[in-house]
Amino acid sequence: MKATAQIKREAKRLYQLCLVDGSLNEKRATQVVRLVIDSKRRRSMPLLKHFQRFVRLDREAHTANVETAVPLPPDLQTDVQARLKELYGPAIQTEFSLKPALIGGMRIKVGSDVYDGSVQSQLATLEKSFEP
Amino acid sequence: MLNPDILLAAQESSGQIEKIASTFGVDWPQLLAQIISFSIMCAVLYRWAYKPVLKMLEERRRIVALGQANAEQIKAELARTESMRQDVMAKANAEATRIIEEAHAAAGRVQDSETQKAIAGAEQILAKSKEAASRDYERMLTELKREVGRLVVQTTASVARKTLTPEDQRRLAQETAKELQA
Repeated sequence: MKATAQIKREAKRLYQLCLVDGSLNEKRATQVVRLVIDSKRRRSMPLLKHFQRFVRLDREAHTANVETAVPLPPDLQTDVQARLKELYGPAIQTEFSLKPALIGGMRIKVGSDVYDGSVQSQLATLEKSFEP
Repeated sequence: MLNPDILLAAQESSGQIEKIASTFGVDWPQLLAQIISFSIMCAVLYRWAYKPVLKMLEERRRIVALGQANAEQIKAELARTESMRQDVMAKANAEATRIIEEAHAAAGRVQDSETQKAIAGAEQILAKSKEAASRDYERMLTELKREVGRLVVQTTASVARKTLTPEDQRRLAQETAKELQA
C-alpha cells in the first residue's frame, strides 16, 4: 500500500515534468517512458501504468469529443472548435464523430464536462419523468 | 252353737251325695288314685312338655316381634334413604341446572369472544387486502407510466429520426454550441 502510494507520487512527478505551459508535451512524455524502460528498475511497470493513467486523463481533459447524429457542417465545426479553445485553452484538441443514436443535436465531452443537447438525452429526460 | 237345722241339712245332703255316688258307680279310692295320677301326669306334662312349648312359642313370638321391629326399622330406613335420595336428586338437579346455566353463559362468552376475534380477523384481512390492492394499483400505475414513457420515447425517437431535417439538425447543433461559453 505504501509502495503503491510512492509509485503514484513518482508517476505524478514524471507527469508534471512533461508539462509545458500547462500542456502535455508528447516528446517529453515519450522520453520519460524510454528512460524509465531503460533504467530497468524493479518497479518500472507499475510506475509506467500510473504514468499512462495521468497521460490518459490529461488527454481526456485536453480533448473535446464532439458527437453528432449527422455530419456537422464545416462552418459549425469551426465555430465549435473556436468556442472550445476559448473555454479550455488553445491546447484543446477536438475530435468529431458520428453517432446516429443521438437522433439529433450534438454531444460534447471534455474531460468530466458534458454538454449534451442531443434528442437522445432529451428523450431520456422525458422517459425519466415517467419514473416514480 | 250349731244350728240344729243346719246339722240336719248336712246329714241329709251327705246322705244324698253317697246316694248319687253309688248311683253313678263312683269308687272313691279309685277316683282319688286317678286324681293323683292325673295330677302327676299334669305336672310332668307341664314340666317337660307344656313349658318347652310355651318357651318355644315365646321365642317365636319374640323373633316375630323382632322381625316386625326390624321391618319397621327397615321401612323407616328406606323412607329416610328415599328422602335422602330425593334430596340428593334435587341437589343434583339444581347443580346440573347451575352447571348448564354456567355452560350456557360460558358458551355465550366464548361465542362473543370468538365473534369479536372473527370480526377483528376479517377486518384485518380486509385491511391487508386493501393494502395489497393499493400496492398492486400503485405498482401497476408505475409500470403503466414507465411503459407509456417508454412507448412515448420510442415513438418520438422513431418519428424524430424521420422528420428531423438538416436545418433542424443544424439548429440543434447550434443550440448546443451556444452552451460553450466561458
